[in-house]
Amino acid sequence: MTAESEAIRVQYPWLARLAVVGIGIMAVGCLVAPDRLWPNLLLGAYYVLTLALGGAVFVALTDVSGAGWHVAFRRVPEALARLLPLASLLLAIVLLLGMGRYGWPHDGDHVPGTFRFKELWLTPTFWAARTVGYLVFWMWLARSITARSAAQDQPGSTAETAANVRLSALFLAIYAVTFSLASIDWIMALEPLWFSTMWGVYHFAGMFQSTLAVVILLALAWRQDHGPLAGIFRDDHLHDLGRLLLGFSCFWMYIWFCQYMLIWYSNLPEETSYFITRTHGPWGPVVIASVVLNWLLPFFLLLPKPAKRSAGAMARIAVLVLIGRWVDLYVMIFPATLTATDAQGVVHALPPTFGIWEAATLLGLATATAFCLSRTFLARPPVPRSDPFLREPSLAPCNSGSLP
Amino acid sequence: MADPNSSPRPPLVTGDKTIADVTRDICAPLERGPTGLWWGALAVSCSALLLGVVAVGYQIAVGVGTWGLNKTVGWAFDITNFVFWVGIGHAGTLISAVLFLFRQKWRTAVNRSAEAMTLFAVVCAGIFPLIHMGRPWLAFWTLPYPNTRGSLWVNFKSPLLWDVFAISTYLLISAVFWYVGLIPDLATIRDRSGPGWRRRICSVLSLGWNGSARTWHRYETVYMLLAGLATPLVFSVHTIVSMDFATSVIPGWHTTIFPPYFVAGAIFSGLAMVLTLMIVARKVMRLEDYITHSHVDQMCKLMLSMGCIVGLAYGTEFFTAFYSGNGYEQFVFKNRALGPFCWAYWTMVTCNVVIPQLLWFRSVRASLPCVFALAIVVNIGMWFERFVIIVTSLHRDFLPSSWADYAPTSIEIATLLGSFGLFFSCFLIFCRFAPVIAMAEIKGAAHLGKPAAGRREAHRQEHAA
Repeated sequence: MTAESEAIRVQYPWLARLAVVGIGIMAVGCLVAPDRLWPNLLLGAYYVLTLALGGAVFVALTDVSGAGWHVAFRRVPEALARLLPLASLLLAIVLLLGMGRYGWPHDGDHVPGTFRFKELWLTPTFWAARTVGYLVFWMWLARSITARSAAQDQPGSTAETAANVRLSALFLAIYAVTFSLASIDWIMALEPLWFSTMWGVYHFAGMFQSTLAVVILLALAWRQDHGPLAGIFRDDHLHDLGRLLLGFSCFWMYIWFCQYMLIWYSNLPEETSYFITRTHGPWGPVVIASVVLNWLLPFFLLLPKPAKRSAGAMARIAVLVLIGRWVDLYVMIFPATLTATDAQGVVHALPPTFGIWEAATLLGLATATAFCLSRTFLARPPVPRSDPFLREPSLAPCNSGSLP
Repeated sequence: MADPNSSPRPPLVTGDKTIADVTRDICAPLERGPTGLWWGALAVSCSALLLGVVAVGYQIAVGVGTWGLNKTVGWAFDITNFVFWVGIGHAGTLISAVLFLFRQKWRTAVNRSAEAMTLFAVVCAGIFPLIHMGRPWLAFWTLPYPNTRGSLWVNFKSPLLWDVFAISTYLLISAVFWYVGLIPDLATIRDRSGPGWRRRICSVLSLGWNGSARTWHRYETVYMLLAGLATPLVFSVHTIVSMDFATSVIPGWHTTIFPPYFVAGAIFSGLAMVLTLMIVARKVMRLEDYITHSHVDQMCKLMLSMGCIVGLAYGTEFFTAFYSGNGYEQFVFKNRALGPFCWAYWTMVTCNVVIPQLLWFRSVRASLPCVFALAIVVNIGMWFERFVIIVTSLHRDFLPSSWADYAPTSIEIATLLGSFGLFFSCFLIFCRFAPVIAMAEIKGAAHLGKPAAGRREAHRQEHAA
């Protein structure tokens, strides 16, 4: 074992201990407060799954576009992608346990007319089969891509690089369709009467933004204290990731705003229901917090060039974005799942809560994910040393040495 | 620094050029007299332009009643053409600004001409809403300023007004960006030309460029800032064009995915237009060493990805219409696929989604005739996309008693031809008077004048001996 991996390995015990504590409290919660714990589990499992999937998308996008700037730290998003089987298993269990919590008609009486398609689409068995299908497809393709990347480490195997470009293109094509549908099936269908065509793009935006934040955090963590990426993950890489994070924060805001503005402007009751629940009353400040954390703060903090080259600043901004992602998903999931029926039989969203169950789920899943990621990352050489793009001469831009 | 010739990427400029060769090759078309082919092409496009001018004159004199509109289909050909032309411009801004920020060096081969296309396309687009106003001489009423027309202000809540702002900003920034990029090249032309009008004009336009390190440094800073400013414009312009439709409550128009979907579609059609023109230009102007097969390959891949995004958006709209349970939404989409305008819908799907899938094959991307044909197909498909969105959503109203048909009149078709005439005339004149490739940028991006790998190795061995 090398000294570098030792540096990560010393972090294992406390991560594992925290994970055990968190998961222990979650287990108690499953028995004591299952209604409260399930939305937390859905949020957590979906969060982890989209990070893992985001790692695969990062690798695939850079492969397809012939990028070379990221190769030195590509094992970081690959480690995320290799978490897909575990994340998929977790999400599959949570979804199948909670199927009854989705507000669809389960009694099988055929809805006539225009709702026929929705009824067929949300048939529980079909829904479950699709869920398994999406997850299996992603796992299989992501595994093929990361396995080829590992095989590439043998010198002289350029065939693997070319094969990965083709595989990545296939993965992206399938991912675009399946992830759009998955975000509808798993999250939008929590409120089965509501719909928005932007939904898939919105989820892609959030997924990619948070993945960038995690890649930044992990690469920084594995660089410090003579970690395996010390001397490899350079400030130039951090700078580029910072620019991408700035860009995707803006993209998230763009998509969020377009969806909100178009629904607000047209003011059709079947569409505004989603935002009325979330912007009127106690959920309003949470929505604002989501916008502040996902765009306002990252945008202004990431604008200056020194911030994008500073490990401390970037780590803090990445943490803000990850909190923002949690808040964003919290706003999507909780008002739809934590509800109460009043005396007139009208269903209301409960006000936002943050207690022991939320904290325990956050603690348990975050530490367990960090623990698994460290193990996955260390299992392979930290740098794809035979990649043809690894020793590309220059990270300089087209005609300017002074990009901000 | 590692040997740049060891990069696994294809060279940006082929044919072992030196820096002097670049200047000579790119300035050559400007310095030799216009060819017969150029005059012929200009004659054709000016004839189309003239036809358009006559048609526009007629419809301004007689009125918008010369169009095929009716009380149900109140927007059709003109807005289709408007959206089409705005979209064509988008590849220019994408290539010049977004790909610059992404450090895609291959953009240097096409950015100048793509930016020029942006300007011409936006001018073409502007014609249509201007005519549709009915009294185009009052177009300045769309600008908000304190006036003596009572308390008559523009409607700030209307996306049509946002369009005025978005498109005029876009035109302004694109023009400035294009001009700033041209400055060092204008100085090159100035220095190459003998005394005469060309030298005088270029002297003024190149703003006293002297090629010093300080000049370059300031130039690069300005260029980078403009790229940063232009990047949001790639999104904002077509986003706001899409809001012309999406803020309404018309099924088929009101859908939240419209902004990114329109942006992707605009880039798709813009790339198709860039490919159409550049495949011809590289041949006619003998620029095969600068716009190489690998450049075409990159643009094809971008076009394919944009085509797939557009296809995903079609699918999402269709799926959500059925998922929504809203009968009117469902009707609009059934009507698109099976109604009286189904030919337009299926033309759109075939041209934009089905045929571009051929670009997955390397052999198709490597064949210039195939790519040229595909680019034309995409241009047609993207025109039909706008036609389908606009006309099929309107022609069968909520009230079946209002249902109406729509067919363009000869005046509308002549106006469209005229806009093509304007676009191509501008482009042909641009090719004669400005360098179609950004010489200064290509010299910075490509590794020119350095010994090729083989020669360098021989050199090294000589030294060792």
